[in-house]
Amino acid sequence: MEHGPKKYIIGVYADDDVVLQAVPQVRAQGIRIYEVYSPFPIHGIDPALGYKRSRLPIAAFMFGATGLTCAITLISLTMGSDWPLNVGGKPHVSVSMVPVVFEGTVLFAALGMVGSFFLASNLGPGSKKVIFDPRASDDKFIIAIEVDSNKKTPEEDIKQALRNTGAIEVYEKEVEV
Amino acid sequence: MREDTIYWRSFEELTNHPDFVKNSQNEFNLPTAAEQDEAAQAPDRRDFLKKVGFGLTAAALASCETPVRHVIPFLAAPEQIDYSNANYYATSYLLEGEYCSLLIKTKAGRPIKIEGNKLSSITRGGTSARVQASLLGLYDSARYKKPELGKKEATWAAVDAKLALAVKSGKKVVLVTPSTPSPSFNEVVSRLKASIPTFEHVVYDALPNSGIIKANKINFGTGVVPSYDFSKAHTIVSLGADFLGTWVSPIEYSRQFGKMRRLGKQTKHMSRLYVVEPLMSLTGANADVRIMAKASQVGAYAAALYNAVSAKMGQASGVDAVTGIDTKAIARMADDLVANKGASLVVAGSNDPAVQQVVNAINYTLGNYGNTLNLTIPLLTNTGTEEGIASLVTGLQNGSIGTVIFSGVDPVYTHPQGDTLKGLLKNAVTVSLDHTPTDTSDVCGIVAPGHHFLEAWGDYMPKPGFYSLGQPVITPLFQTRQAEETLLKLAGYNGQYYDFIQAVWKTKVFPQQSIYTSFTQFWNYTLHDGIFEVGRPSLRGKELAANGGDLEAPYEYLSISGTAPASFAFSNRVAATLAAKPASTGMEVVVYQKVGMGAGTQGNNPWLLEFPDPITRITWENYVTVAPEVATAKGISLNECQTSLVTVKVNGKEYSLPAIVQPGQDPNTLGIALGFGRKVVGKAGEGRGKNVFPLVSLAAGFTDYIAKGATLENTSETYMIGAVQTSHTNAGRPVIQEATLAEYQKEATAGRYMPKINTPDGPMNPTDLSLWKTEVNKRPNHAWGMNIDLNSCIGCGACVVSCNVENNVAIVGKQEVVNRREMHWIRIDRYYSSQKTRDEGASNTELETAAKNPRVTFQPMMCQHCNSAPCETVCPVLATTHSSEGLNQMTYNRCIGTRYCANNCPYKVRRFNWFSYPQNAERFSIGTFNDSLARMVLNPDVTVRARGVMEKCSFCIQRIQDGKLQAKKEGRRPVDGEIITACAQACPTDAITFGDMNDPNSRVSAAINEQYEERAFRVLEELNVRPSVSYLTKIRNT
Amino acid sequence: MNVTASIRPHLVNGGKTVSDVTNDISRQVESAPTRLWWMAFGASLVLLGWGSYCLLTTWFVGIGVWGLNKTVGWAWDITNFVWWVGIGHAGTLISAVLLLFRQKWRMAINRSAEAMTIFAVLCAATFILAHMGRTWLAHWALPLGNTYGSLWVNFNSPLVWDVFAISTYLTVSLVFWYIGLIPDLATIRDRAQKPLSRFIYGLLAFGWNGGAKDWSRYESVSLILAGLSTPLVLSVHTIVSMDFATSLEPGWHTTIFPPYFVAGAIFSGFAMVQTLLLITRRVFKLEDYITVEHIDSMNKVIMVTGSVVGIAYITEFFIAWYSGVTYEQYAFTNRMFGPYWWAYWSMMSCNVISPQLFWSRKLRRNIATSFIISIVVNIGMWFERFVIIVSSLHRDYLPSSWAMFEPTMYDVGDYIFSFGLFFTLFFLFAKFLPVVNMAEIKGIIKGSSAPKEGQLKEAQPVQPATASN
Repeated sequence: MEHGPKKYIIGVYADDDVVLQAVPQVRAQGIRIYEVYSPFPIHGIDPALGYKRSRLPIAAFMFGATGLTCAITLISLTMGSDWPLNVGGKPHVSVSMVPVVFEGTVLFAALGMVGSFFLASNLGPGSKKVIFDPRASDDKFIIAIEVDSNKKTPEEDIKQALRNTGAIEVYEKEVEV
Repeated sequence: MREDTIYWRSFEELTNHPDFVKNSQNEFNLPTAAEQDEAAQAPDRRDFLKKVGFGLTAAALASCETPVRHVIPFLAAPEQIDYSNANYYATSYLLEGEYCSLLIKTKAGRPIKIEGNKLSSITRGGTSARVQASLLGLYDSARYKKPELGKKEATWAAVDAKLALAVKSGKKVVLVTPSTPSPSFNEVVSRLKASIPTFEHVVYDALPNSGIIKANKINFGTGVVPSYDFSKAHTIVSLGADFLGTWVSPIEYSRQFGKMRRLGKQTKHMSRLYVVEPLMSLTGANADVRIMAKASQVGAYAAALYNAVSAKMGQASGVDAVTGIDTKAIARMADDLVANKGASLVVAGSNDPAVQQVVNAINYTLGNYGNTLNLTIPLLTNTGTEEGIASLVTGLQNGSIGTVIFSGVDPVYTHPQGDTLKGLLKNAVTVSLDHTPTDTSDVCGIVAPGHHFLEAWGDYMPKPGFYSLGQPVITPLFQTRQAEETLLKLAGYNGQYYDFIQAVWKTKVFPQQSIYTSFTQFWNYTLHDGIFEVGRPSLRGKELAANGGDLEAPYEYLSISGTAPASFAFSNRVAATLAAKPASTGMEVVVYQKVGMGAGTQGNNPWLLEFPDPITRITWENYVTVAPEVATAKGISLNECQTSLVTVKVNGKEYSLPAIVQPGQDPNTLGIALGFGRKVVGKAGEGRGKNVFPLVSLAAGFTDYIAKGATLENTSETYMIGAVQTSHTNAGRPVIQEATLAEYQKEATAGRYMPKINTPDGPMNPTDLSLWKTEVNKRPNHAWGMNIDLNSCIGCGACVVSCNVENNVAIVGKQEVVNRREMHWIRIDRYYSSQKTRDEGASNTELETAAKNPRVTFQPMMCQHCNSAPCETVCPVLATTHSSEGLNQMTYNRCIGTRYCANNCPYKVRRFNWFSYPQNAERFSIGTFNDSLARMVLNPDVTVRARGVMEKCSFCIQRIQDGKLQAKKEGRRPVDGEIITACAQACPTDAITFGDMNDPNSRVSAAINEQYEERAFRVLEELNVRPSVSYLTKIRNT
Repeated sequence: MNVTASIRPHLVNGGKTVSDVTNDISRQVESAPTRLWWMAFGASLVLLGWGSYCLLTTWFVGIGVWGLNKTVGWAWDITNFVWWVGIGHAGTLISAVLLLFRQKWRMAINRSAEAMTIFAVLCAATFILAHMGRTWLAHWALPLGNTYGSLWVNFNSPLVWDVFAISTYLTVSLVFWYIGLIPDLATIRDRAQKPLSRFIYGLLAFGWNGGAKDWSRYESVSLILAGLSTPLVLSVHTIVSMDFATSLEPGWHTTIFPPYFVAGAIFSGFAMVQTLLLITRRVFKLEDYITVEHIDSMNKVIMVTGSVVGIAYITEFFIAWYSGVTYEQYAFTNRMFGPYWWAYWSMMSCNVISPQLFWSRKLRRNIATSFIISIVVNIGMWFERFVIIVSSLHRDYLPSSWAMFEPTMYDVGDYIFSFGLFFTLFFLFAKFLPVVNMAEIKGIIKGSSAPKEGQLKEAQPVQPATASN
C-alpha cells in the first residue's frame, strides 16, 4: 500500500452496546469500517465486522503436537539408544516418560501459540501501532473509517452515518500508517 | 626395529659402561632368584607369589637400615616392581600383648593397608580393629621426629654419648619393656646383662595375666599362659573373660570360636557359650546363655561350678552349697561341661590366682588339658607380672636405680601409682625409646625414638616353635632409630639390627628345620611367608596347590594338642574360701578394655577413636555404663546423643563422666573403660575421656580391676556423646532373623521371615514379581555378591576400620558424630532383644526398649547393591547406576547432591559429604585428610570425595578391578578368593564371604546355594529391591 | 456483552463507571508510593538481606550448616519447596479454572493471584537450588548432554519431572499473566504524563491499541491458555507429590498423594491469596473491587479444600492400617505419637479443624477471621509437608539408623530469605503494575456494578441474552 499520511474519519462512542448496534448499520450503508477500538472486548462485534474465527487454536494444536514428538524423541534417544544405562534394573524407555512428555507438550503449545498471536497482531516491545484516540484504552469506543477505501461514499455521509448511530463525537484525522 | 638404529635407555648403556654392565646383573640378584623359583611352582599360587615374591626385593627395598646395595630406586626397579602395582610384605604386629601376623600392602613404597597373613596358624589371616588401625600410627604427626635431650632436639651422637655415660653410673640400669617374645631381643638383653653388670630387665605389661601364670605355677609348676583352642570346645564357659574382644589373644580365639559357630547341611551342631559377667562384653554379646553377676561374685560362681562338676565326676570339691548365685544356671553348665568333657573349656577373666586355680581344677577334672588347653605350647605375648614394676618403684625410692630405659611401655599413665612413679623418675636418668610421645616419655630426660613397627626389623616367637618375622615396609620417615640398635650400642655392638637378627636366626632358628639347606634360602622364604613354624612343612609348593589359592593353613597345623600335665597340685581349700567369700556390698566399678582402645597405646589414632564401640556404639571417649534400673533410679536417660554427666566416687577418687544406660549390666556394677584420658597423646586423643587406671588396684600383689564401694551421683548436667546408633532394639522387625539351634535342627528355615505378596495367582515371593517385562539386569561376566553369616559374626568391628582404611573414609570428629553424620561405609548394627515380642502383644514402646538381660545380634550393614536399586531410579542426573557385574555404582563426578538416593535407601547406607572434608583444616583438623603426614595413608586407588556428593560402599571396586586386571594379564579367569573386599579380608571369623555368584563353585555361591530357602535371607526382602548381599540367620544354642 | 442474572451479588460496589475503574486502578501506579508501602517494602528488604546472608553461607560452606543428617536427608529445604509450590497454585487456578467456569468474581483478584503464583514459584525454585550439595552444577539436571555428549538426565527420576513441571508452570504462568497485563499497560501508557513512564509502559504494552481483531485473538489466546494451564496446574503438584509417592519410604509411598497434594495446594494457595488480598485492598483502597463477596467465595473454597485434605489424612491413616505393613503402620502411629507428635497435631488443628469455622456465613464474611485463618492455614500446610518429609524419614526401616532432626539458624534463615524475596517482588508489582485487571472489570461493570445509593445506573438498558456468549 502506498505511503504517506492517510485520512480517517473517527467516530467516538460512549457505550459498547451502541457500538455493537452502530457497526452493522454503518456497514449496511456500504461503508467499509477500518477498525473498531475498545478498552475491553465487545462480545459479538467480530461477526458484525465480518471477522472470521481466529486460527490460533489450530496453531496451538500444531505446536502442542510438535512438543509431544520432541519430548518422546528426546527421551527415547537419550535413554534408549544413545547410552542405555541400567537404572534400577528398569526398562530403558518406559511409561515413566509420561510426565515429561506432558509438560513438553503444554510448554510448546503455550509458547508457540502466544508467539503466533504476537506475530499476527504485530505486538511486541517497541511495536508502533496506530492509536487513533487514546481514550480507546479508557472508556471510549472508536470506529475508524479510512476515507480512501470509501471513495464512493462522500465523507459527509460517513460522518452523518456515525452521528446517526450514536457517536458522541466525530472528527477527521490524518494518520501515518 | 631397523638394523641401523640403536635404542638405548642411558648413556651408560649406549657406551656400554662397565659399571652399568656389572650393576645390571648384581642389582637383580635377589628377585631373579625368586623368579626362577616361582617359575617352578604350580599355577594356583602364582598370583599370591607374584605379590609377595616382591617381598624379597622389597624387604631390601624398604629397609634403609640394610646396606645400600639392597636399595633399588623405582627408576631402575626390577620389572615386577611397578610404581602403580601394590606390593605385599609380610610382617608381625605385637602390641599390648596382642600378636598378629600381617601382610602390608604398599603402593609406590608407602604402606597403605594392613591385611592378615593367612599363613600364620595362630592368627590365620584374622585381624582386629586395633591391628587394622595401627597403620596410622606410622603417619602420626605427634611422633618424635628427632632424638631429644631435655625436650630439646639433639643429634644421635649426643644422645649416644649421654646414654653411654648414664649406664656407666655404677647404679642400676633398668630396661622396662612389655613382654617381648623375641629371640633376637632376648639376645640383646643378655648382651646388655653381659656388658653392663648393673643391668636389669623389667617386664611390665599394663594389663597382666599374672593371675593365670601364678595359678599354673601353683597347679602345674609352670608359670605360663596356656594355649587355648576354642575350635575344639563344644561347651565354653567364660567367667568374665572377654576372649572375643580383649582377653589374652582375641584374634586367635575369635577365629577358633567362629569355626565352631558355622552351620550348614553337613554341620548341624555348634558350640554353646556360657558367659557370667558384670558388664556387657563382646563375648557376653555372643553368649548363648548369659548370666549377670557382680564381678566380685565371679569367684563364687567358679567355686560353685567346680563343686557341681566335681560332683558329677564323682569327686570331692570341699565346697558347700554356694549362696546368692544362679544355681540353676550352674547346674546346667556343669551338665553341659561334663557331657562334653575333654571337648569343653572354662576360662576366667579375673586376675585372682585363686579363681584361676579353681578354673584350672575344673578344666583338669574335665580332662580338657591336652585337648582344649595346652601348657606345653604357652602363649608368650603377655607374661609380665607385678613384681617387676614394684621393684622399679622401690629401686627408685631407695635410689639404687641410676638409669631407667622405657621401651614400649607407659607406666606413668597405665600404672595405678603412675603419679608416684612420675615423681620418683626425677631421681634417675630416664630414657625413652618410644616412637611417639607418652605420659612416660614426656618425663624422660633422654628421648631416643625408635621406629614404628612398620619401619623396623623384628622377630617374634608368640608361642614356642612359632616364629614370626617383622620387616620394615618403608624407609624411616623421621630421624628415628631401631630401639634395639640403640640398646646394642650400649652393649658395644654397632652393627645393623638386620644383621643381628640374621645372626641369631642362623644359630637359633635355622637349625630347627630341615627343608632349606642354605640359610639365605631359609631366611628369604621365611621373610616372604612372614612366619616359620617348627615341624610344619614349607607353606610353599604342594600345600598351596592343595588349598587351591586359598592360603589359610589347615587347622591341623595348630599342633597344640599336647599331652595332659603329669601332676596337678590343687587344694580344695582354695575353692572353699572362694565359695565362702561374700560378694562385696554396694556398687562396684569395673574398669574394662574397649575392643577399640585396649590400654590406650593407640590413644591418638582417629580411626580407633571414631570406631564405634561394638556394644555401646559410642565413639571418641569413655563413659560410665549404668544398668537400666540404676539409670531410672538416678534419673539418667539417653535421649538421642544427649545424656547427663554423673560423678562416680570410689577409693577416694572422683570421676565426672557421661553416663550410658547399658542393658545386660549387673545393677550393682558400673563400668568405665581404660585407655582414655592420656595427658600426652597428640591432637586426636587430646582430652578424650578420663583415665581410670588409678582405679586399678593390687589385691595381694595381683592387679585387680574391681573397685568396690562406689557411689554414683547424677549431676543433672547434660552432655552430648557421639553415638552412631540411638535406637537399640530391632523394634520387632524381621531385619534380623534368628532361631535357636533346637528349632534349626528341627526345621532348617527356623526363624526365617518369608514374606509373600498376595496376587491374583495367590501369594507369591516378592522377588517373583515385577512390573517390567524386559530384564535389563544381565550379568554376562561376573555377578559380585556377598554373604554374611550372622552366626559367626562376633561384631568385633575389624571390618569397619579395614573399610575406613581401604576406602579413604573421612574422619569427621565427635561433633559431627553427634550430628549423626559419621561417614562409615560399613556399620555393625547392634540389636538388643526386647522383653516381649510383637506376638506377645508388645506395644511399640515396649518393643523399642531393650530387655534387662537382652539377647544381642550384630548385623554388618553396608550398601546391599540392590539389583532393583531404589536409589538409582530417583537420581536425576544418573550419578548412581548399575554395572553389568551387579554393582551399584556411584559416580562422584556426576553427583549434584540432591540426597534423594539416600532418602530412598531402605538400608540408610548412603553417606553425604556435608562439608568439604579435605582441604578444610580449620573444621576437620583431626583425621587423614588435612594432615600432610597422615595424608600419606590415603589409598591412591580411591577418590577422596568432594563436598556435596553422595558416597557409599562400592564393594571395593578398586580391588575387583585390580584382581580382574591381574587375571587378564595372565590370561585367565580370576580365582575365587583372589578378589575379596576389605571387610571380608579383615574378618577374623570369616563371617563375610565375597565372590562371583556367576561362578557356581565360588564360596559365596556355595554359601547361598547350600542355605538357599534355609538360613540365607535378604534384609527387607518384601521390598523386592533384590540385594546382592545375603545374610545367614542367627542361630542361638540356648 | 455478558449478562449476569440479577440474583447474583454485585461484584463491584460504589456505582463505578468504566472511567472510574481506569482512574481507581491506575491511581496507585501513577501516584507516588505511600508511606505504608515504603514501610512494607523496607521490611521485606530487611528479610531479604538477612536471608541472603544465611543462604550464601549455606552455599559457600556446605549443606552441613543445616540440621540434616545421615538419616534425614531432606527437611526444611524440601518442606519449603513444596510449600511454596503449593501456594503457587492459586493464581493460575483462579484465572484459568475460574475463567473456564466463567466465574466473574475472579476478575478482581486474578491479577494479583497470578503475580503471587509467579513469585511463589520463584521462591520454590530457590530451594531447589539451595538443597543441592553442588548448586553450581544445577544445570546438570536439565536435559543437556554432558561434555562428552552421551550422558543426559534420568527421565525416570521424579526430580527431573519436577524440573520440567516447575519450569513449564513458571513459563506458562508468566505468559498468561503478561498477556492479561497488556491492555492495562496500554491504558497506563495512554494516561502517562511523564515521557519516561510513557516510554517504559509503551515498551511493555507491546503497542496494544485495542483493535477489535486483536481483542478477538486476545480472547481465544486467553481461553486456550486457560485450557492448557488447568491440566498443567494439576500436573505440577501431582508431579511434586510423586517425589514422595514413587519412593519406597514408609509414609511417602502412598498412592493417594497426587489428589491429596493438589487439594492441599489449592487450599494453601487460596489462603495465601486471601492474605494478600486483604492487605492489598486495604493498602490500595480497593474495597469496592475486592468486595466481601470475593472474600466469602474464597473462604468457601478454603473450607472445601481444607476438608478434602482432612479426608486425605484420614484415608492415608486407614490405608496404612489396612495394608498390614508393619513399617507403614509404624510410620503413621509414629507421626501421631512419636517424637514429632507436635508437628502432626498442629497440622491437624490448623488444616482440618480451623477451616470448619467457615461453615458460619458470619465468620466467612468477617475480614479479621478470614485474615487470621488464611495465615493459620498456611502454617498448617507448612507443617503438613514437614510431617510428611521428616517424620517419615527419621524412622524408616532399620531402627539402627533412626535419628532426629533439629533445625539450625541456617535452616530458618534460608526460609526467611524466601519470604524476603516473595514480598519484595510482590510490593514492587503492587506499586508499578495495575493490581486489578481493568479491562476485565470494565467488561462487567454494567452487568454487576452496584449503584451508589440515590443514583441511577447510567449505563444503557441491558441487551437480551442472545448477544451474550
